[in-house]
Amino acid sequence: MAIATHGTSSNYLQRAPSPSGLADVLDVILDKGLVIDAYVRVSVIGIELVTIDARIVIASVDTYLRFAEAVNRLDLTQTEAAGLKELRDGGSDEKSKGVKEGVKEKVTPGK
Amino acid sequence: MSTTAPRESPSAAAVYVYGVVARGSEPALADDGVAGGTVGLVQHGDLAALVSAMPSEQLRVRRRDLVSHLAVLERAFAATTIVPCSFGTVLASEEAVRNGLLGARGDELHALLRRLEGHVQLNVRARYDEDVLLRQIVAGDTGLQRLSERTVALGEAGYYERIRLGELVAAAVADRRAREEQALYARLAPLAREIAPDEAGDEVLKASFLVARNGLAGFDAELEGIAAEQDGLLRLESIGPLPPTAFARLEEARWGS
Repeated sequence: MAIATHGTSSNYLQRAPSPSGLADVLDVILDKGLVIDAYVRVSVIGIELVTIDARIVIASVDTYLRFAEAVNRLDLTQTEAAGLKELRDGGSDEKSKGVKEGVKEKVTPGK
Repeated sequence: MSTTAPRESPSAAAVYVYGVVARGSEPALADDGVAGGTVGLVQHGDLAALVSAMPSEQLRVRRRDLVSHLAVLERAFAATTIVPCSFGTVLASEEAVRNGLLGARGDELHALLRRLEGHVQLNVRARYDEDVLLRQIVAGDTGLQRLSERTVALGEAGYYERIRLGELVAAAVADRRAREEQALYARLAPLAREIAPDEAGDEVLKASFLVARNGLAGFDAELEGIAAEQDGLLRLESIGPLPPTAFARLEEARWGS
């Protein structure tokens, strides 16, 4: 991919003038802003659950197993070569793979 | 369900409140508010609240309502300084908005408007590219490499070894993440007037930054610099300029009765 040129960071910094996904909208307006002891607060219980579900519990057996599997999936012989190459001159294979995974991550935010 | 949507004065009905602006700087008003209400103004002294009528006290929140609330804020914010209200703020009547909110909390609202003037909110998130991170962690640790090889060799029998491996990796990730978070805050804090950290999930950093309009380019350049230095390890996301929802707090949540 031509965009993975050394020194170009635009791949790694995404800018948006306004939130687009529901989770990002909630980040801006839910429990943010002036909270006054209002006459009635609109019930948003269902929505709060959604945001809590999206959070990841770090320290759990599931997480450990997931990390172990992720590490075991890594091709370690490739790691040293690619890792160094990446640090030195930004190996393009790693980058374009990373970009794809970044996109995948966006589609499945629960993971 | 009301068939006659009140135009300028929603009279005695419950009132949905979007935010407060200084009188004389009232923005152009969007037509569609939460629950299909028409957005109007309630004024008191030199303050004005953006409001719309509520058809009933029980609003079933739909995606459209969330988007409408934000749209009203953004439209106002494009024209003037606004103290945004949290989503779902409903007062009993226009009178309650006038006296209970604008009147009773006038001094605090003025102070907030002054503090927020000329500033915007940026919601910043930084997240590791997990693949790149794990490669870096494992590449620098022969102990982890050996344990990984062992668990692969053991297969199904190596359940506890896998947990041990994952535990060590998780600890390394957490340690790295904590240091990275501190480093990121240290670089961005001098460029922001205030910071409102958010509860991070799998992010390295998740926070709202209150940034002066004339400091936006500098802040963005710093983000760009961080992204460039990290060379694929960190994914940064910057949403904004947004109305300063994370920075509109009154001293106490009480208000005049």
